[in-house]
Amino acid sequence: MLFDSKEISHYKVPTMTTDSLVLSALLAELALRQLPCGGWAALASSSQPAIEPTCYSALALGSVPAGDIERAQDFLLHTQNPNGSWPVFPGDDQEGGWVTSLAVMVLREVMPAIPARLQGFHWLLNCAGKESNWFWKWKFRTADRHVRFDPDKYGWPWFPDTVSWVVPTAFAVLALNQIPCSCGGLEQVTHRVNRGIEMLIDRACPGGGWNAGNGVVYGSALAPHADDTAIALLALRDRAKEPVVQGSVDYLERVAATLTAPWSLAWAILALTAHRRPTTSLSSSLVALPDLSSIEDTSTLAVVCLALDQPRALQAFGVTL
Amino acid sequence: MLTRRDFFICSAALAAGTTVTAPFLLPKYHSDQRPKRSRVAILNAQQYSQQLDQILAAGLRLFPLDVRGKTVLLKPNLVDYIPGNTINTHPLLVLAAAESFRRLGAESVLVAEGPGHQRDTQLVLSQSGYEQSLRDERIRFIDLNRDQLIRTALRASYTGMRDLWLPRAVLEADFLVSMPKIKTHHWSGVTLSMKNMFGVVPGARYGWPKNILHWKGIQESILDLCATVPIHFVIADGIVAMEGNGPLNGTARLLGKIVLADDPVAADATCAQLMGFDPGRILHIREGSRFLGNASPALIDLVGETVNAPATSFQVVPEFRHLRAL
Repeated sequence: MLFDSKEISHYKVPTMTTDSLVLSALLAELALRQLPCGGWAALASSSQPAIEPTCYSALALGSVPAGDIERAQDFLLHTQNPNGSWPVFPGDDQEGGWVTSLAVMVLREVMPAIPARLQGFHWLLNCAGKESNWFWKWKFRTADRHVRFDPDKYGWPWFPDTVSWVVPTAFAVLALNQIPCSCGGLEQVTHRVNRGIEMLIDRACPGGGWNAGNGVVYGSALAPHADDTAIALLALRDRAKEPVVQGSVDYLERVAATLTAPWSLAWAILALTAHRRPTTSLSSSLVALPDLSSIEDTSTLAVVCLALDQPRALQAFGVTL
Repeated sequence: MLTRRDFFICSAALAAGTTVTAPFLLPKYHSDQRPKRSRVAILNAQQYSQQLDQILAAGLRLFPLDVRGKTVLLKPNLVDYIPGNTINTHPLLVLAAAESFRRLGAESVLVAEGPGHQRDTQLVLSQSGYEQSLRDERIRFIDLNRDQLIRTALRASYTGMRDLWLPRAVLEADFLVSMPKIKTHHWSGVTLSMKNMFGVVPGARYGWPKNILHWKGIQESILDLCATVPIHFVIADGIVAMEGNGPLNGTARLLGKIVLADDPVAADATCAQLMGFDPGRILHIREGSRFLGNASPALIDLVGETVNAPATSFQVVPEFRHLRAL
């Protein structure tokens, strides 16, 4: 269904389809939720800014009037830890966390943020799942074998001092793939990205797809999750010919048609688009979900916006079609 | 070549391992929170039905509860959804609890949880039947994985962590009701009202799963959490429980019981007995009985049904066969 070009709130969209009308309304809602500090809170009812919702929101609002985005970028620059990482939210401990990957992607095209991004990349390169240490590797090989995985293939933890998990590893791979060259102390990038990709492939569930990172526990296969699968598939866009990746895309395509939760459905749309699977009907399902504007979880609202603007979203994540 | 750093890591890991496996030799709690006596009620309920309202209301009358004017937070066990697996506290029991506490005069009743395995909380809510039920009954749900966080000093030091960031909704609730699903657990032996408190630890800060708690020791984390966030009441869903490779991939086991208690240690000790386990062999129950609540039958007033150990203990993974009382 096509509408004439018109302005909704302060977002101008040239040719209005149902999807773009919904997108405009959701972007307006997202903009309203921006806090005076420039960041966004995890929940609409909260006033505590956090990095994850801020990053998704900034990516989603990438084309809106510059002031909003500049405030978001300033917020990110001011919340970076001295060690180059980003905390989950301002005031958190300064050891940093997985959201560092999101922050460096959001700041990609911000010239004054180049030093901050470099610091962030260095922190990511120095951060590894605990199983990368020889002692824990040995422990997982000998004494602690209830979770099936190869500890030689490690990625990134949610937070330092824990083991690698799928989502932080996938985002770190996406972030590090945006580094233009492996120089200036970033020589380990290729090595770490390759280990991370190996880790993702190793941690897949037996029937395809990923959950948090436990494919088999005590001999039982655990079920995959659509959102974890989609995020892993974005990071594995260049490995589309791997059987594990193909099987996981098939799984995601099957399950996406049944999803009624906007977070998982939105990620599924992005990943399936990246892997060149049709998503038109999924997008229709997404915009048909009730009360999208009143979604309490701001990250979900932002990711829905990204899923309705796939080319730009994929570009932001550094995924080329 | 072994560097000094590696040697240090190795020594620390061995020390940590010893801490985890050995019984707790020294108390690490800040205050003795035990009531003089505890009360537990075992209710019979063979299936999930609308009759749970009446069963639960009758059970709650066995306790001198005063929730008038209070904010009651119901904390079910809502981890993930796998078709056919009895993973989560049944929504009908949660609805029945909400209705009962409303009738008892609670100012507001919230349902709150931070799923530990699945990041998409709304998906778990929807698939497990919670979303529609809560909407129909106008009960507010709070995603504890993403609620506003407050740095909170721990009131015990079993993990060595000084503090945790905890959700505002949990800290501000007047009356917290832990509503576990009675299950075996492949890392901790059992998951009952005390282990259920892992759900208040926010995934947004600590990840999915909440891996830091595993690294700091599951038993130790349970004790620190329960010392810090008091559980005021327990309603345990043992109508259909889980045995074997829980908490996700175990087998359904019809137990036909709901366990109510005003003390989480007494509740978990009783649930363990109903599973055919010796509560004294479950580290967090045994240690919890030193400062959080009562596990000794001599200090528990049992109302309703008596505790009858099953003819066959619940199946467990090999590492926890020693829990069996039989």
